[in-house]
Amino acid sequence: MVKRKVIVVMLACLLIVSSIFSQVKLVSEVGIHTEAWKTVMNDFQEETGIKATIQQFPYSNYFDQLMLTFTSGRVDFDVPYISMLWYPALATASYIYPLNKLSGYEELNLEDISGIDNGWQNGNLYYIPYMNELGGIVYRTDLFNDPKEKAAFQEQYGYELVPPKTLEQYRDIAEFFYRPPELYGVTLMGQRSIFLATHFLQRLWARGGNLLDSEMKPIFNSKEGIEALQEVGEMFKYANPSAKTYVFQDALTEFTQGRSAMAEIWTTAMLYTENPETSRVVGKASFVGFPRPEELKNEKLPMLYISWGFTISSASKNKDQALQWIKFVTDTKNEVKAAPYGNIPARFSSINDEELRAKFPWLEGFSEAMENSIPTPMVPLIPEGNSIINDYIAPAVSEYLSGSKTAERALNDAADGVYKLMKEHGYY
Amino acid sequence: MSERKNFNHIQYILPSLLFILVIFLIPIIYTLVISFFSWNLLRPDLGIKFVGFKNYLQALKDPFTWETIGRTFYFVIISVLLELIFGFSLALSLNTEFKGWKIVQSIILIPFMIAPVVVGFAWKFIVNNDYGPLPHFLINLGLTSITENPLLANPTTAMFMIIMADVWEYTPFVTLVLLAGLKALPQEPYEAAYVDGASAIQRFFYITLPLLRPSIMVAVVIRTLTSLRVFDTIFIMTGGGPGSATETLSFYGYRLAFQSYQMGYSSTINLISFFLAIIFTLIYMKLIGWDSNE
Repeated sequence: MVKRKVIVVMLACLLIVSSIFSQVKLVSEVGIHTEAWKTVMNDFQEETGIKATIQQFPYSNYFDQLMLTFTSGRVDFDVPYISMLWYPALATASYIYPLNKLSGYEELNLEDISGIDNGWQNGNLYYIPYMNELGGIVYRTDLFNDPKEKAAFQEQYGYELVPPKTLEQYRDIAEFFYRPPELYGVTLMGQRSIFLATHFLQRLWARGGNLLDSEMKPIFNSKEGIEALQEVGEMFKYANPSAKTYVFQDALTEFTQGRSAMAEIWTTAMLYTENPETSRVVGKASFVGFPRPEELKNEKLPMLYISWGFTISSASKNKDQALQWIKFVTDTKNEVKAAPYGNIPARFSSINDEELRAKFPWLEGFSEAMENSIPTPMVPLIPEGNSIINDYIAPAVSEYLSGSKTAERALNDAADGVYKLMKEHGYY
Repeated sequence: MSERKNFNHIQYILPSLLFILVIFLIPIIYTLVISFFSWNLLRPDLGIKFVGFKNYLQALKDPFTWETIGRTFYFVIISVLLELIFGFSLALSLNTEFKGWKIVQSIILIPFMIAPVVVGFAWKFIVNNDYGPLPHFLINLGLTSITENPLLANPTTAMFMIIMADVWEYTPFVTLVLLAGLKALPQEPYEAAYVDGASAIQRFFYITLPLLRPSIMVAVVIRTLTSLRVFDTIFIMTGGGPGSATETLSFYGYRLAFQSYQMGYSSTINLISFFLAIIFTLIYMKLIGWDSNE
């Protein structure tokens, strides 16, 4: 009798222990792509028997929370779902674990994931993209396909009104649709922020320029950089004057309320334009990658790339279960299933899925842009990357826009600051 | 007997002392210690290095720090001055009992009860060129040149808009403090002055103002200290821009700590802000005469 009781207690203990170990703790921001992958968490448990739990933080203090948890050493999660921009700092500090050191990582079918090259650092794979998007132009298809508009544009500019492929076309179209206060040519984001910096970065890359050279020295104050910054200022002429105070949400609101013909934003905006509760342009918008100068339009050049994805915490005791979760959630079938809830999948096989294409026709423009560009994160993937953009590039663009400095001086001052920062951190 | 008395005193103040120590002193001491180190959270490989006064020297040599201190002074002085003027006027107006005065007093306190983040969003709306009432009001006054650029995108007007939001939010606090002071003033000096034939202006300058000095001091010191740590409104309304036109010391400290993760240098900037708070307080005490034994 006693023996039987002992066995029952031991079995109960085993059950409790196994239930503790057969789980994976996820941590994420509060955002639409998180809501999308949350929809397959139950499927994961059903298929693998591993319970997935989640803790979410508001985006505004999510990274701070992660950093504080990691530095305090009290890490209680296995899988942080993070922005691609954050992983280099976490990897340098060994807070996240190289996925290629775990057996079975090859099953992730990496070559099918766009932008996966950005997930490698020093020969180790730390980051698996789940949500991918590109910086480009979201435009109004109803206006672009309107025969009257087409004819008027043809007459005024001598060529057909189509989604812009070159910077020259982009400027012409913005000018053409600039009919304030009812309609603005383009929506831009002018408040001093990382969003404003993207307008400069896109034009810098489109001209073949870059932020840093191979020795990590700043080169964005080049001729290409100065021209790029001056062009940012030019484009604001065709935007709502209030756009100089916009951040992402303001820009999104202006476009979804039908107040502009184009918005220089990123692919996620399409998910918002399709929401009938908040958008007046449902079914009237599409996406095209960021234009190039006429002479470089066929070149494969860097394009602003934003990604969120999965990593595994070094302190995790459930690394195998964590990898199983990553394999499950990034599987084509599950990416396609979750996408309609608010995600742009990272796998080529997912964005080319017929069912998904039927739901989101604009994926065609996105897929085309992805294939014809070098997806480049908006922040250099080094620990200093955020500082370079937030502390130097964004203020420089803002100073030029507000007329406080010339383009050349703003960029030279920023380059001096970046050089000093990198030198202090031992890059040269 | 006297030892027992002393023991009792310590026993009574010990909880408060411990509270102050844990909540106030330890963080300040920790910040002070960190300010002597080079510590970047994003580069743990570089370690935490003792650098002595290097952070302080760097801060003092950097023209940006001085520009930021200048902007902080501008913000604090103008906003506190305006709050004092408006707060005093409101307190004097409300220092009479009329029908519904309690309701009016409650209504004017509303801005003070709103979270600064919400105030930031509300003012971003108020000054918006498209639908905000302020630009339309300015245009109706014929001041179109001011509104050619959005008020928050113009380096000259952006800081003033932040000041306006701050004044709107905190004037009720100043009013409340001064009104409490006014209500506590003794009536005898006024009666004597009335008998002596003093005018209303003379009564204000020779009786009300001197007697109200302690209340003014409290309002000004508290507002100065809270103005020095203004952050939310700036974060929401301008993000520190255009350029760096609205970046104050506390915002700069935040940026260094939570965008660049330079914990040592950020601590130095925050301590500079702390020293400024002490300087401001000492100046006020001197001006208002609290350092003397009057």
